[in-house]
Amino acid sequence: MNESSTLANPWVQWQQALLDEASANIGRMKNLPGLWQRAQQVRKGVSPAEIVYEEDRLKLRHYVGPAKPRHKTPLVFIYALVNRPYILDLKKGRSVVANFVERGFDTYLVDWGIPTTADRHLTLEDYINGYMVNVLDYLRERTGVEQVNVLGYCMGGTMSAMFTALHPKCVRNLILLAAPIDFAANDSLLNLWTRPENFDVDRLVDAYGNCPPEFLQASFLMLRPVGNFLEKPLAFYEHMHEEKFIEDFLTTETWLQDNIPVPGEVYRQFVKYLYQQNLLTQNRMPVGKRLVNLRSITCPVLNIMAGKDDLVPCSQSTPFNDLVGSRDRKTLCLEGSGHIGLAIGGRAQKDIWPQACQWLAERSA
Amino acid sequence: MDQNFEKTAEQAAAFQKMWSETASKIVQAAFTFSPNSAPPDILRQIRSGIFAALGQSWEEFMRSPQFIESMKQWMDSAITFRKLTNDFLAKARSDLQAPSRQDIDTLMLTIRHMEKRVLDRLDDLAVEVRELSSKANRNGGTRTAGRTRAGNRPTRPTATKTQRL
Repeated sequence: MNESSTLANPWVQWQQALLDEASANIGRMKNLPGLWQRAQQVRKGVSPAEIVYEEDRLKLRHYVGPAKPRHKTPLVFIYALVNRPYILDLKKGRSVVANFVERGFDTYLVDWGIPTTADRHLTLEDYINGYMVNVLDYLRERTGVEQVNVLGYCMGGTMSAMFTALHPKCVRNLILLAAPIDFAANDSLLNLWTRPENFDVDRLVDAYGNCPPEFLQASFLMLRPVGNFLEKPLAFYEHMHEEKFIEDFLTTETWLQDNIPVPGEVYRQFVKYLYQQNLLTQNRMPVGKRLVNLRSITCPVLNIMAGKDDLVPCSQSTPFNDLVGSRDRKTLCLEGSGHIGLAIGGRAQKDIWPQACQWLAERSA
Repeated sequence: MDQNFEKTAEQAAAFQKMWSETASKIVQAAFTFSPNSAPPDILRQIRSGIFAALGQSWEEFMRSPQFIESMKQWMDSAITFRKLTNDFLAKARSDLQAPSRQDIDTLMLTIRHMEKRVLDRLDDLAVEVRELSSKANRNGGTRTAGRTRAGNRPTRPTATKTQRL
């Protein structure tokens, strides 16, 4: 019997599949008892860091590289107010932060901390004109440079864009990573669900104070219910005997389940002014006493997005480059990748981050 | 009553239509496979076809007015329940002469308003000081204006520490 006839015989293939499955089941049973313990031991952030600045709940992490930074202009990551920032430094070989540190950037990350009920009155002005200004002032004093590179992820990207528009002299280069800017399109279910006729954000914030993490988590999971409730558990079961898969799965899931509340007033402003009125693209977004004019952004801009992002579709990020006053602007789109894959995916590590580092290196002192 | 009944019937009909279409898509997916594939691969193909059909239908369902209406009702109920709980707890605490969350919220808001007024005043003073400094410089004074900060807003008092992780 030659090889081709063996392959063509369905009985042989079924038997082989059954044997493979039986062997995989032994591996699954072996791994099952230790899963919970392994989930508890997942490290939240892997690169060596020191906390160099603290204010209220905010912590500024400075990543310590093996060698002295080659570029004098520091780079600061501005993370979203949703979830925790260690997604940017999730594990070895999947860390956005490590990419920059290894290529000689003096890298910092803003960890906003976990808001409590006392923070419910904090507004976007407090974050942008308060905390962010203070962090950049601290960095300018610490490093002795006048301008800082800013990289904002997701909602942190929107906040970074607003910050750069309000304080253009402080930012040397701006990188946005899956940042929602134009909320007019209805590609994302979130846009549809948060329309004024469908969602009364005032009632929610008045009743709950901060936006509860369970509410946010439920909204995110409902964006892909079949993927999240059927495909993911099934994939987990199928690959439960593979050590590498288990490690990646537990690390990512730990982050996904690590939800935090969003300060009530920030949530109200974000939903009302952006999701419902789309004021940022019209240069009418109020932050404190001023309106954000994206045309004021004149520094080089790199806009990175994912082609299969359910949370922030490309249609929300792409228009940014046409709205700014910068001449030097570039877009990088990772086709076939999702919101989180853009940060931790293998293709992003190979294709996106080396390019982003190169782009920044060419424009940094 | 009749209107309510009609609305419910319409919703039920739309719901039924959507899911009967899903069922037909799933059946289609289940019988679409390459005859050359190995048997375990056929099962995987069928499964991914079913998931794709289900995913598409769910996406449609979650964009449907029926889903959005039920989501609104669910949200309304959750908010109403939360408000009732807040009111009940506030009354209970008030009867026990203990501060309620509402009291603390009001206090926080008052402090924030005070802080805002003070910071606004400091902003104005900072602008005035800058103007006076530049005037003094123009008049041949030796003192120079302080380095311009990123914003007009004065920085908050900060605590800085270094911690190895």
